[in-house]
Amino acid sequence: MGLKAPLYFHPLVAVAFLSVGAWWLCAVEPQKTSGPAVPVSGSSTGATLVRHAVNIKSGPETPTVLTNALTHTGEPVPVACSTCHATRTPDLARRRAEEMKDFHQGLAYKHGDQTCLSCHNAANYDTLHRADGTSVDYPRVIELCAQCHGPQHRDFQAGAHGGMNGYWDLSRGPRERNTCVSCHDPHAPAYPKVRPVFAPVDRGARQQHSREQAHEAKESAHE
Amino acid sequence: MTRRNALKIAGATLGAAAFAKAIAPIAEWGAEESVDEFLQKHYRELSPEALAKVITRLEQETKEDYGAEVHISDPRPQEGVKFGYALNLSICVGCRRCAEACHKENNHDRPSGNSYIRVLEMQKGSIDLAQGNVTYTHPVSDSEKYYMPVQCQQCDNPPCVHVCPVEATWKEKDGIVVVDYNWCIGCRYCEAACPYHARRFNWTKPEIPKEEINPVQAYLSNRIRPQGVMEKCTFCLHRTREGRLPACLEACPTGARVFGNLLDPKSEIRWVLANKRVFVLKEELGTKPSFFYFFDK
Amino acid sequence: MSNNAPVSRPRFAPDPARGHFYNYVRFLWRSGLDATDGSGWFYAWMTLLSAVALVGLNAWATQIQHGMGVTGMNDHVSWGLYIANFTFMVGLAAGGVMMVIPAYLYHDEEMHDVVIVGEMLAVAAIVMCIGFVVVDLGRPDRVWHMLPGIGVFHWPVSMLTWDVLVLNGYLLLNLHICGYLLYMRFIGRTPNPRWYVPFVFISIVWAISIHTVTAFLYCGLGGRPFWNTALLAPRFLASAFVSGPAFIILGLQILRRFAGVQMSDRPISILANIMRVTILINLLMLASEVFTEFYSGTSHTSAARYLYFGLHGAHGLVPWIWTSVAFCVIAAVLLLRPGVVGHKVQLTVACVLAFVAVWIEKGMGLIIPGFIPSTLHELVEYTPSLIEWQIMAGVWAAGLLVYTIALKIGLPVLTTKPGAKH
Repeated sequence: MGLKAPLYFHPLVAVAFLSVGAWWLCAVEPQKTSGPAVPVSGSSTGATLVRHAVNIKSGPETPTVLTNALTHTGEPVPVACSTCHATRTPDLARRRAEEMKDFHQGLAYKHGDQTCLSCHNAANYDTLHRADGTSVDYPRVIELCAQCHGPQHRDFQAGAHGGMNGYWDLSRGPRERNTCVSCHDPHAPAYPKVRPVFAPVDRGARQQHSREQAHEAKESAHE
Repeated sequence: MTRRNALKIAGATLGAAAFAKAIAPIAEWGAEESVDEFLQKHYRELSPEALAKVITRLEQETKEDYGAEVHISDPRPQEGVKFGYALNLSICVGCRRCAEACHKENNHDRPSGNSYIRVLEMQKGSIDLAQGNVTYTHPVSDSEKYYMPVQCQQCDNPPCVHVCPVEATWKEKDGIVVVDYNWCIGCRYCEAACPYHARRFNWTKPEIPKEEINPVQAYLSNRIRPQGVMEKCTFCLHRTREGRLPACLEACPTGARVFGNLLDPKSEIRWVLANKRVFVLKEELGTKPSFFYFFDK
Repeated sequence: MSNNAPVSRPRFAPDPARGHFYNYVRFLWRSGLDATDGSGWFYAWMTLLSAVALVGLNAWATQIQHGMGVTGMNDHVSWGLYIANFTFMVGLAAGGVMMVIPAYLYHDEEMHDVVIVGEMLAVAAIVMCIGFVVVDLGRPDRVWHMLPGIGVFHWPVSMLTWDVLVLNGYLLLNLHICGYLLYMRFIGRTPNPRWYVPFVFISIVWAISIHTVTAFLYCGLGGRPFWNTALLAPRFLASAFVSGPAFIILGLQILRRFAGVQMSDRPISILANIMRVTILINLLMLASEVFTEFYSGTSHTSAARYLYFGLHGAHGLVPWIWTSVAFCVIAAVLLLRPGVVGHKVQLTVACVLAFVAVWIEKGMGLIIPGFIPSTLHELVEYTPSLIEWQIMAGVWAAGLLVYTIALKIGLPVLTTKPGAKH
């Protein structure tokens, strides 16, 4: 029994390598396509694209204050801001909510160093005013915020700030957007703390959490 | 017939009976699977008629298994669209409403609270994921922390696509990496390969009460998946290929999420990429994600 | 030419007047009879293995019905006991042909008689590899999706497809070699070297490839730094050439003691010599890995820290890995003693320790730390469930069944007088 390779051995190996190589070359197929592409609706040859509306929610209605008086149906009587403020002297320096003794108690106010009348319009309390003194209605409060908070407003215009619902592709549907006061209380605009929802309950997260708690308890017991 | 042979035959009979008893659960499971499903070809090899038949069958099975009427569509990628997603880490407060919306939109198994999005509470000043925490329950946001939701990055160089032995997952022309749930063999190699913990496996048959089922479904995205197959975030392609925003973005109360077409120079996502300091996770791995993170300051 | 094979029975003797097809069927039938006939101990062993295999089969059936959720795996640690055993078994299959190298490359006639033990181990181990992969699949009914032509075979990009090719190829190679040699023995003819020697040489190279390809499955994943090391494939090979010879030495001793096979100490001595070198290489590579991981202190080393020292209160694998290291060192010390081959107890202990050490190190000690911490650095530990242990035991039992049957059929080869050509 000889252990020299038989005559056919080398040609066999050569054929094996060549066929593997050929198979490899054939096996690397071009990427299969994932199906016919759909032309974007609304775009035909040269026609203008439909662009749906982007609705930005408007700011609040001109606010009223509820008094203790009741109407004949038992509802509290609302009065416009100017009803009281028309006969009062505006205090241009007031900037702390605690100073207000007669009305507006309990107002949470934390908006930097602004005075009340930085935004509220001493000439017409049913409106607000811009930095140049011109008045602006409450529904258009976004113009007021944008004066100082330029970067946020710029981001908002570009779609990178403030939530939205609807379509990313405005040629196929509209979009609805928040305005500033949808999320930011103008008197205390810092975004509030919220309770998070939906903590992971999968086996993994629960194990890790209970182990970390036990570990921390052990470490603090050592100290 | 010797005694030895008689004993052998008795033993063999006992063994055969034990064998039949042992594999009985497979027979029960097999009774629920149809021949059509067993023989079904890969999604990319199905003709439109065959796919329509498959979809009809799937809608039927959903009705039988879950009691819900659903509509499964098959939206295709559009020309000139490549999806990108950006996340503003200065604004995200970590409320996890995106994770919850994903859970509801995508018909996830209810008991396991599955979601494609995992929100990490990170230490300010560090991007070390090891210092992140996923299970926080305290009111957010904590001023010492920032919050980073992680989901499938729809990589341009996806390791999960490379490793699948049967090409059950692939990258579509609009950038979304999808899974054909009826082709996946459940080997979970893609789950090992993904660097972002983006892929999920159906360890059981999903349990969803019929009133919670989202009936607007697509074959490649949020239809109810069978047991034993992989799944992942599809950028809500059943919505986004119709031009709508994904569910996680709509749920975000702060507007930290920005989504759109990377090939449209006037899109919001392009504005973010041009005007914000943007980074990607694990860039050194060369995966080329389509998901970007940025801070405002 | 009359049949004078030592354990022939007149009823199923080969008929020289008929062709190979007829005789091959007879060979299979005779093998079947040989496989089911033996002493009381043989029946007890086979019944035990069958019982365990059936328990495993039932557990697997339950897993198919209820889903992989019955295991301890989750989306963080998505591979567990099955793939750990699969990885170890690939090494055992590769190590099985260790004896081929001295026998054929170095023209060692005496080794030829026992080479078949190693090749049959390779067959049984590959059967177990395939078994472990199948039980790990979420949808084993869709295995046909991998068949090129009727399914979609993602070759050459997916390393798993390479693994499918090399493992099945290796199985076919060894089945051919064993089958051919046993069949020739059955019909009483001298085997023709042209029909098996080239395949033997190919199997040596192929054995290296199966373990290299399996290592590439892991080390190609950039997102898993514990695995993403160039040393992984060489480490696999080093440990395969520890576990393989260890198992074969134990197998040869059992055959000598319980099956009346006559052989000198020479094959065992050669294998022990091989192990002396490979176990030291294994320890050296382990030291290299440990140094690289711990000297730099980067966060990529957290998986290694979890494995060896525990991490943030999670230390499930620490006792296992240190046991493995200790066993490996003790086995190395025992094997390096000059007269160890003469001291059967010491040799047996060394082989058992080495085998268990590699099982831990290449099984759970390799797969699980790849997932801990996860890619988002979450620490989720893994404990196999009862069903996983049952299925693992079942696959082991099935593999041992295959191995026992193969050895039983192959006994005639081993019981001929030394010096007779085979």
